[in-house]
Amino acid sequence: MPRFTVAGQHFAGQLASGALIIACLALFPLVASSYQLSTLIISMVFLLPALGLNLILGYAGMLSLAQMGFFGVGGYTSALLAMHFGTPFWLNFSAACLVPALLAIPLAIPALRLRHTSFVMCTIAFVFILESVSKNWVGLTRGDMGLSSVPRPRIGLWSGGFIVHTTVQYYYLGLLLCVLAVAALVTIVRSPAGRYMIAIREDEVLAASIGGRTWHYRLAAFVLSAAFAGAGGSYYVHYVTVISPSVFDPTYTNTVLVVVLGGGVGTIMGPILGGVVFIALSEVLRIAPELRMVVYGLILTTSVFLFPKGIVEPLTAVLRGAIPSRARGSHGR
Amino acid sequence: MKTTGRRIFLMLSAVCGVSLAGGLPSAARAASGDIKVGVIGPMTGANAPYGSLAWRGASLAAKEINAAGGVLGHKIKLVRGDSQCTPVEGVLALQRMISSDHIKFVLGDICSSATLAYEPIVENAKVLLLNAASSDPTITYKAGVGGYKWTFRNYPTDEQRAGIVLKYASEKMHIHKVAILSVDNDYGRGAIALSKHFFHRYGITAVSEDYFQASTTEFLPELNKIKNSGAQAILMYGYAASSRLVARQMLESGLAGKIALIGNGDFTNPQTIAAAPSVLNGAVEAAAWSPDYNSARSKTFVHDYEAAYRGEVPQVHAFTHWETINLLAAAIRKAGSVDPAAVRRALAGITFDGATGVVKFDSHDQADLPMILYQVENGKPVIKGVFRTAVAYPKP
Amino acid sequence: MLQNLLTDGLVIGSVYALVSVGMTVILGVLGQINFAHGEYYMAGAFAAWWAIDRLGLSYIESIPLAILIVAVLSLVIGYVVMQRLVDVSFDAGIIATLGISLLLQNGATLLFGGTYQVFDGGWLAPMRVLGEDIAQQRILIVLVTLAVFGALEWLVRKSSFGKQMRAVAQNVECCHVLGLDVRRVVLITFILGTTLAALSGVMTAPITMNIYGAMGEAITLKSFAVIVMGGMGSIGGTLLAGWVLGIMESLVAAYVGLQFRDAVAFTLLVLVLMWRPSGFFNTKARY
Repeated sequence: MPRFTVAGQHFAGQLASGALIIACLALFPLVASSYQLSTLIISMVFLLPALGLNLILGYAGMLSLAQMGFFGVGGYTSALLAMHFGTPFWLNFSAACLVPALLAIPLAIPALRLRHTSFVMCTIAFVFILESVSKNWVGLTRGDMGLSSVPRPRIGLWSGGFIVHTTVQYYYLGLLLCVLAVAALVTIVRSPAGRYMIAIREDEVLAASIGGRTWHYRLAAFVLSAAFAGAGGSYYVHYVTVISPSVFDPTYTNTVLVVVLGGGVGTIMGPILGGVVFIALSEVLRIAPELRMVVYGLILTTSVFLFPKGIVEPLTAVLRGAIPSRARGSHGR
Repeated sequence: MKTTGRRIFLMLSAVCGVSLAGGLPSAARAASGDIKVGVIGPMTGANAPYGSLAWRGASLAAKEINAAGGVLGHKIKLVRGDSQCTPVEGVLALQRMISSDHIKFVLGDICSSATLAYEPIVENAKVLLLNAASSDPTITYKAGVGGYKWTFRNYPTDEQRAGIVLKYASEKMHIHKVAILSVDNDYGRGAIALSKHFFHRYGITAVSEDYFQASTTEFLPELNKIKNSGAQAILMYGYAASSRLVARQMLESGLAGKIALIGNGDFTNPQTIAAAPSVLNGAVEAAAWSPDYNSARSKTFVHDYEAAYRGEVPQVHAFTHWETINLLAAAIRKAGSVDPAAVRRALAGITFDGATGVVKFDSHDQADLPMILYQVENGKPVIKGVFRTAVAYPKP
Repeated sequence: MLQNLLTDGLVIGSVYALVSVGMTVILGVLGQINFAHGEYYMAGAFAAWWAIDRLGLSYIESIPLAILIVAVLSLVIGYVVMQRLVDVSFDAGIIATLGISLLLQNGATLLFGGTYQVFDGGWLAPMRVLGEDIAQQRILIVLVTLAVFGALEWLVRKSSFGKQMRAVAQNVECCHVLGLDVRRVVLITFILGTTLAALSGVMTAPITMNIYGAMGEAITLKSFAVIVMGGMGSIGGTLLAGWVLGIMESLVAAYVGLQFRDAVAFTLLVLVLMWRPSGFFNTKARY
């Protein structure tokens, strides 16, 4: 079982260590170059949808590849609001969480009837359908010409306020959003609803037999994961200041998959570590530009056999010896 | 407190990872006197062929310049960056060049969305960005007097081209019905949007409008539809790879000699013509350059490129990147220094004797390039006119 | 015109079916989605191009050579990676095959340079069939596909290896108990599946012309739609789903717009799943 569902005392210790990590990360810009900060910013961009995938896969047991579709929708929502109405960041951000979440409800109707491979494929399908919409709804999205000069995040209640501009400022904004998102995820999985999701993951028939409506909880997981993805889209679009249908490219989906599955699904630290390690790794490999993606592919494949449950396990095991292993629902077959 | 210790360890390992990422400069380590020039483009992924062309063109130019003694006594050292045509990867590649490799001159990107994301970054870092392949007009609307002082584009926009092609088609070929078939990206969609402004003036109507992906391999359904639509020409903005396929499948559909290809898409490249000579006969293209272009520098380039890359005929992206490295070298020579601010000023006022004519930058740091109107006759491109690509900027 | 569209859809659908059936047999036996499947399609096309361009062979000679090269490649990958995926979770299988996809895609770019290579071969002269001109190569693709599907049906239903495949697909633990060499079945099935993708790549290359590292990506994605529509594991279902997709794409491309072509596969997939969550053919007992 995941660790945070254990004793309350344990949880207090985790809060303390969490605070320490945040403090260290907050001091990081004092020593880091802008390139290192940008790398962490991109890690945080992918961490937000990864947390959503972690929720739906790690806790509700459904592998949804629709995350980057919702990420794109969130990005477009945030960009369009800021460009047409000059709204402050908090409003764009909230809308970027809300719109994908609402969109997830009708999409859940065909998707949640499915299991295993069919569910995975159905969620991949959503990304491509959204890509096609963004390419062809030229009046709204400018199609492939994309939206550029997306305003930078304006931190203010309504008008005026402070405009996030430098890499360091973006870093702190991202850190704040990620801390909030991780806190939200912890709250969700510690709530009774979160425990019920875990029960569904472990045994859906059994979960249904103790009197819950599994469909409602699976819907909730799907909708919440979309909101996390949308949050990532909002932060992304105000950082790179452009968005085009290329945001729905499979490369992005693959990155999120690697972050969550390579990091360690069903744990809080897994995707956080995965986000930092795998994105830093892909950057380290830039020292050999010709071989970079070949080596990256090799490392991905090897990591599956070295760390079948993600890199979070060996890293934690180093210090704690044997830790309680988490059980996970298996798919396929 | 075991937990805390573990967390600290995890965090430290993460920080180590990132430090490592930033700490190591590229393996392409340059000697201290070298001028390092970054080339960013899609080196992997679906658009890798274009990144590869850009890299080949730029590498050839650097090799030639270095063989001739370099620039102001410095050798040019290219550093490769992979953007996969996405802003995320591209921004990281660019940040790495700026902050770890201390690069002051960058060529890139191919894809407009990546280039647009670079503009504010090079502006902050005071690094010179030269673009040689993106066609989104907003790139230069925002550059020069538009705000970004460090972005230059040495690649034609489609504003003039769209009109020139349609004028020729209407007046010389008496074409009044076209079928639109263009690549589904900013370049294809943008060029068609600009073309539509001229439809009324030249009495042209579009009978159909279709956009293909760079990965599309099947055009027969479209061509069948076009065959029965009464279209006299296919208005196409695309690249060599798709042009070959469209031409070949037009041959299959029996459209050869009945419907002409007009627009831009390496129609004048010998490899495209060889794919379906009877289809390409009569094709009209307005291009910045063609391998057949008759100037000493262009001929030498084609010859050297073929010798360097197993007889591969260079395409337009290879040429523009080759030319832009030469342009940068000329600007450094003119500035008499490798200081990026001096080079930027030199570039803004340069009169560069390019392979296709004189290159100058306008107030938006957009190159005012000569463009050539070709028509393919008997398997050979024939020049039908030369025009400039000056841009009429929208009033702010 | 409609006849043209249907013929063209059938040809393209045959290509989809030929690639997808390889993926579906691998999925059946191994229980893993092969995210690198299109890369074997690419490898087949690349190997044939290499044989023609660099070794100076003819197209007909390049076909068996290309298939042999891909078979050796997949023997290595199957032995080192795919066999071991029997024991790992579905999610881990995705990461492993994604890694292989990156490796093969960029390996090809590294070996041959990233630019488009032009495939020169095949029989492109038109032939008159039912009053319409069609390239001989396209007819050949349909014929080869029909032959392959016939042979596969026989293999799975009648041969003793087919029985082993079905046994592994239905219950791995049971096969272990019975002393069946599961890893051998997985390896052979994997080689079979990837060489079918390679065959498809070689057969289509004269029509698609442009050979480059990432050419398999789009094919992998379309195969996903085809195998799910076909009922995952059903051979006849895969052929039907391939043809339906090919024809629908042609119709949409002509009547709606080419820009919607790539959305057809996944829209169709969602619609089919809404109507029949298990695809055209329900294959509870695979094969």
